[in-house]
Parts: sequence; C-alpha cells; structure tokens
Amino acid sequence: MIEQAAYKRRWRPTRYWLAALIGGALFGVLVASSALSIALDSVPHRASLFGLPAIGLMAVATVFGLRAFRDRKPGVRGRDLMVAAVLFGLGICSWLLVLDVFTFTQAAGPGAAALSALACLPTTAFGLLVVRRLDRNEKEPWRLVLVAAVWGAIVATSLVIWAEALWDEQLGARLVPGPALDASSAFSAGVFEELAKGVAVVLLYLAMRDEFDDVVDGIVYGAAVGFGYNFMESITYMTHLYAVYRPESASLALASAAGQWYQRQVLGLFLGHATYTALVGAGVGVARQLPRLPQRLLAIASGFVVAIAAHFAWDAWAQFFPVSPTSPLAVAEIHLRILVMVGPFTAALLLILAMGLRVEGAALTRQLELEAEAGSGAVLPAEVPVLISPWRRLGVRVAAMARGGPVAYSRLARLQTAQIHLAMERWHRERQETDTPPAAEEALRRQVLELRAATAL
Amino acid sequence: MIRSHDDLRSLYRAMLALGAAGLLILVLGLAVFLRFAPLGQRTGLAARVTGVYAYDPGRRTITGPPRARFPRTQPFAARVRWAALPGGMAVGATWYDSLQEPAGGVGPAPAARLSAGDGLVPERIPPGLHGNLPGTYTLLVLRYADGRPVEILARTTVVVERGP
Repeated sequence: MIEQAAYKRRWRPTRYWLAALIGGALFGVLVASSALSIALDSVPHRASLFGLPAIGLMAVATVFGLRAFRDRKPGVRGRDLMVAAVLFGLGICSWLLVLDVFTFTQAAGPGAAALSALACLPTTAFGLLVVRRLDRNEKEPWRLVLVAAVWGAIVATSLVIWAEALWDEQLGARLVPGPALDASSAFSAGVFEELAKGVAVVLLYLAMRDEFDDVVDGIVYGAAVGFGYNFMESITYMTHLYAVYRPESASLALASAAGQWYQRQVLGLFLGHATYTALVGAGVGVARQLPRLPQRLLAIASGFVVAIAAHFAWDAWAQFFPVSPTSPLAVAEIHLRILVMVGPFTAALLLILAMGLRVEGAALTRQLELEAEAGSGAVLPAEVPVLISPWRRLGVRVAAMARGGPVAYSRLARLQTAQIHLAMERWHRERQETDTPPAAEEALRRQVLELRAATAL
Repeated sequence: MIRSHDDLRSLYRAMLALGAAGLLILVLGLAVFLRFAPLGQRTGLAARVTGVYAYDPGRRTITGPPRARFPRTQPFAARVRWAALPGGMAVGATWYDSLQEPAGGVGPAPAARLSAGDGLVPERIPPGLHGNLPGTYTLLVLRYADGRPVEILARTTVVVERGP
C-alpha cells in the first residue's frame, strides 16, 4: 500500500533512467565477463548444464517482457514488467552463482565448497541481523537487505574478477615482489572491489528512494553488500587453501580453512568489507538529504574515496605488522593488527552512524509531534514518547501480546511501522527531498487510520 | 529555500573530512608505490630460462627433457643462461609457490659468478611438508640494485599437479 501511494505517477523521474543506464552498463560488463570465461575455458562445460535454470528464468522473463509491451492496460503492463525484471534478475544471479562456484571452488570440490558455505552462513546472517537492528527507528525491509547481500556475494564478485585479473596482467606482472607490488594489488582491490560493491548502494539510492531515507539506511545497505561479498570471498579463500593443503594432509587442510574462516568470518566480519562498503553507504546516505547536486556528488565521492583508502590501507600495509606463526604472541598480534588497521575506520563509521541516528531521532520526534498536533488521529499525543523509543515500542507490543496474543502484537507492530513511515514522509516533504506527490502522504495517513481501526478490534 | 531543523551540516562535513583523510592515504600509497617502483628502472635486458627440469637434490643434477608439469613429490629446477647478462650486474632468481610465498632460489650475486656455476635454480619443498603445494609455481629472474630487486628480467611458470 505504501509503495502504491508513493508511486502513483506513471512517469518516472530522471534517477530511474540513471539507474537503468548503470544497470545496462553493468549487464554489458557481465556479459563480456561471461564470454571471456567461455573463451578462456576457465569454466568447465558442466557449468552450462547447471546454468540451465538460469536460462529458463531468462526465457520466462522474456515472455513476460514481450507480453508487457503488447498489453495496452497500464496496470497489467506494469505488473508484467515487474515480473519480467525480477525473473531476469534471478536468472542473472543464478548464472553468476554457477560461474562463481565453478571459478572459485572447483579445485576443492563441491563437498568442501558446501561445507565452507555452511560455515559462513550463520556468521553472515548474524552480521546482517546486527546491522539491520542498528536502524532502530525504521528497519529496512529484509527483501532489500538480502538483495544488497546477494549483490555483494554474486554480482560484485563477478564484476571484479576480470578487472583484477587484467590489472595484475598489465601492471602486476611487471613489478618485482615487495612494497610496490603490494601497493599495486591493494590499489586494484580497493578501487575495483569498492566500486563493484558500492554501485549496489548507488542503485538502491536511485531506484528505491522510498526505502532509502538517510545516512543510517545507507550504512545498513552498504554493510549488507559487504557481508555478502565477505561471504563469497571467505568461501573462495577457505576452499583454495583446503585444495592446496589437502594432498599433504586432511588435518592441515582443515586447519588452514578453519583459520581463514576465523580471520574473515569472526575477526573480519565487521572489521573488513562490511566497514568499507558501509562507508560508501554513509556517503550516499548523506547525499540523499543534501539540497544541491555538487554537494551530493561530493558526499558520494567522499564515501567511495574513504572506502577505497580503508581497503587499500589494509591490503597494502598489513605486512608492516608482520605476524610470526611461531611467536607465542601470534594470536594476540593477529587480533591487534586488524584492530589497529581497520579499527579507526570502523570507529569513524560508528561516529557517523551515531550522528545520523541523532539527526533522524530528532526529526522523527518533531514530525510525530506535529502530526499529533494536527489532530488527524494518525498519531495521538500520548503515542509520541512511545514511538520515538525502540524499547518503549517493544514494551507496548509485548503488553499487547499479553492481552491479545501474537495477532495483537503483529497488528500493533504494523501500526507503529506505518506511523513512523508517515513521520519519515513528512520529514522528507518538509525538506523538499521527495519526488512523491502530496497524495502519497495522505494515503499513508489513511493507511495508519485503517491499521488503528484494525488494532482496536 | 529549504526549511530545515536538522543539523545535516555536521554530517556532511564529517563525510568530507573522511574523504580528505582517504585521499591522503591514497596519495601516501602512490608515494610508496613510486618509491619502490621508480620510473626509468628498465634496462631493456632480458634473461633466458632454457627450461624447467626434474631435479635430483641429492646429486644436484637435472634429468630428462624440460617440462611444464610436475608431480607433487618431484623436485624441479630451472636452468637460466646467466652468461647472456652483463657479468657485473647483480641478479638473482626466486621461485614462488601457489600461495605466492618464496620457494627457493639463487642470488643475488653478480651474473658472472652465477654463470660460473651450473645455472640451475632449484625450488625448495616448504619446510614440514612432504611435497610441493599443488598449483602454479612462478620463477622470477630479477635484477638487483642497492640490495633490492628492481626489474624482472625473465619469468616462467610450471604447474605442480594435485595428487599424492
């Protein structure tokens, strides 16, 4: 209902065209990457067999797309186009997943790859849960958080593999081992990986504006992309080391893979890709609320630059803090190294997050108070102190459950969410940073009143 | 004019400050890169690796024809024509295993001294392991200046096969 209210207009603003342009360019890069995979024979032919479901999804997407262009009714056409786009996206992702699995894990075999994935799944899910909870006022929808994570795991990894390989071939191969080669590889990783991950946040900012409110949302989406990327990268390193050491001994292979898991899924879960891409998200999130285009571009560029720098610093200068495996302090040194090198960037990100939460909290309080004063009934004066406190919101929901069971809990949760959506809409409208028609706000208000009526039953 | 009751300026400035700090780090990285890979280091010289052969570490000799693939338990060595390089030039050669760790080599030493020997560059099985690590091994023939490698004169790769 909220989406319908927000997108009543049939025309689409410029940002959709910009998003489509970026999407089209990325699709071109992915097709080229796929063609190169086949040309260089790095993907076994059995990948084609496992890619059949992807081809099937593409075929069904084409049918829906053609039907959409044939149908004259705008409602039906819009629905068909949406189905076609979703199926097309699923097809792309499943094909890239096939490529990723074979490219990254074929040496270790499907068993080791599946076990590595299973080991990384709970930690990645934990990271996503924690980061989503950071947005204590208006949590991002799971579907978008998961789309961001899937982008990081599948699309971003596919985008960087050829870029980094070409960079290594053109520049890395001419450099002698040492600091210059380390710096070159770190520039490659920082620039290509952060661009490939960050473009997901930019696309969400352009295409899903109603679910991308401010710097807090940017940090959540950015971190989600980072968790996804970290998930696939962890599997890659775990399976690679397992494959390298397996002929020597199974225990050595398992220990190597477990070491990678600990470094990347425990130590580096938050202090790594999640931090880097969340910095991109912070820049995009700040830009979301800036009035002038040059300011927005500067904020987005700042996010990308600091993310690339953080990634670069870790990759290039980690060897300045060497860890001797035979040292009795090796374990402490490994932990200290990541804390010293990535910790400052994570601390800066948390500072930005705290500032964002403070601004968001103050704005919501004000808008809820104004809505209550207006007397529409969507927000009552007594509800304002409850709605601005996550703990008090939870408290009244639990009290409702005690009285009316899970249904009452769920109804009240929906009402609270809609009330906060309304306050957010008011905030963006007051700042003139929304392109939705004024009717959207009234539709949200009506929705709140309907939910209130349902809650009272 | 936008009516705003929010303090977004501090957020914007914080982002700009982070961006500036990031830029500084990247410039510093570029400086490190140029310090260790200065322009104008290329001599145009190239070394020649005549082949990679099965190697007997006990007798320090190679056997059979040159090969591109080796079983894990088979040591191997490259033969380099050091005589083709200026005798006073400091050179060396290092094998890197599939984890990009150094895995044996010769030098650095004047090319004349290396060419006086057998010209072999044997790889070394990692300590504590029974065989080489599977994957691609890379040999780099390097020119040195002031004790540091500064130029790649030749490069070759072989594959160590998976297996017992």
